[in-house]
Amino acid sequence: MNEQIKRSTSRKKATPEQRRRRKIIQISLGVILFAIMVIIASLFQEISPKAGFVLFIGIALGYTLQRSRFCFTASLRDPILTGGTNLTKAVIIALTLSSIGFMAINMSKFGLDMSAYDLSIIAGNVKPVGINTAIGAFLFGIGAVIAGGCASGTLMRMGEGFAQQWLAFVFFVIGSVIGVIIAVPMKAVPILKGKAIFLPEALGGWVPAIILQFGLLALVYLLADWWGKRKSTGIL
Amino acid sequence: MNIEKKKENLWDSIFKKEWSYSKGAVIISFFAIALVIVTGKAWGVTGPYSIWGGKVLSWLGVNVDSWRAFNGSVGKYVFANSQPSLTNLGIVLGALLSVLLAASFKFKKIKNGKQVGAAILGGLLMGIGARITPGCNIGAFFSGLPAFSLAGWVFMVSIFLGAAVGSKMLKNWFM
Repeated sequence: MNEQIKRSTSRKKATPEQRRRRKIIQISLGVILFAIMVIIASLFQEISPKAGFVLFIGIALGYTLQRSRFCFTASLRDPILTGGTNLTKAVIIALTLSSIGFMAINMSKFGLDMSAYDLSIIAGNVKPVGINTAIGAFLFGIGAVIAGGCASGTLMRMGEGFAQQWLAFVFFVIGSVIGVIIAVPMKAVPILKGKAIFLPEALGGWVPAIILQFGLLALVYLLADWWGKRKSTGIL
Repeated sequence: MNIEKKKENLWDSIFKKEWSYSKGAVIISFFAIALVIVTGKAWGVTGPYSIWGGKVLSWLGVNVDSWRAFNGSVGKYVFANSQPSLTNLGIVLGALLSVLLAASFKFKKIKNGKQVGAAILGGLLMGIGARITPGCNIGAFFSGLPAFSLAGWVFMVSIFLGAAVGSKMLKNWFM
């Protein structure tokens, strides 16, 4: 279905048409696409009770990522390549807001004294941290900058019509199969397996964890702000 | 004529005007939190990718479910039950909807061999990295760091170092 829309619009673009006509066609296709989304969501809804809702959260995320040109890869790359940190600061704002949201949910789940602490029902992902975390994230960072998009950015650009990200996606999937095979022997090594560390539990309460979490976020924000205001552009 | 022009402008101001990064940050956080509240599970992207690869292999006749890496997970997989699969489809469709309503959709072809190489190497590294971590910039970072998880902070430092090396490689080899 995507392919059809893509092909027809690219053909329209190739012929010297009036801009206005192209606009009407694209907007009409957008409205049709929305109707198709509603149909897909209701079909999924019959298989799984929350599937329609989850699909629409994804649609809202994709729409917002595209509309605001929100890109995690650029937030990491731009400070190095161009010296720009506007996107970096926006990512820190998003992390801070999400921290407040997740904290509120977890406070209501575990209590302010953490007496009902249970990692299995935690809001957000508290995964084991080991050397594998650092190695994997390092490789991921290289890949995201080279391919011109991280996990969310690749999907967003696929929707925008970038052929390069469709190719990157195919190799992303192939890499995931290789990765899941590599991960089997890695999990047998204790330092490569790690242990989940939830800061309020590790530091003995919400207060020190809040000070550390938001203190570090503020520090990174100020660092990014200072870096963006320097006269020089990038370091490469 | 005049009214028509005004209508166009109203459409453009709603669907064509770009949003600021901060507006994006606020709205993305809002939906990420809403997802956790309703389903109990945080936003993730790459979790099902290895399963999708396994599905393709099983269609080709490979019995991947006997591999320790998959351990039966490919056969059990149902798209509509997999939260990241649904949000992934949503992100592609949502981005497409956004460019169509803004009348700015354009198919962008691959320009040269360097872009092919970049997509292959970059894609492979992201796939391998995301399964070693485990998690991507969304599951391990954007849904991890705000959960007060040490792994999220380690991910942030490491992905930044990786991005620095990647920027150097991009500049030297792929640009």
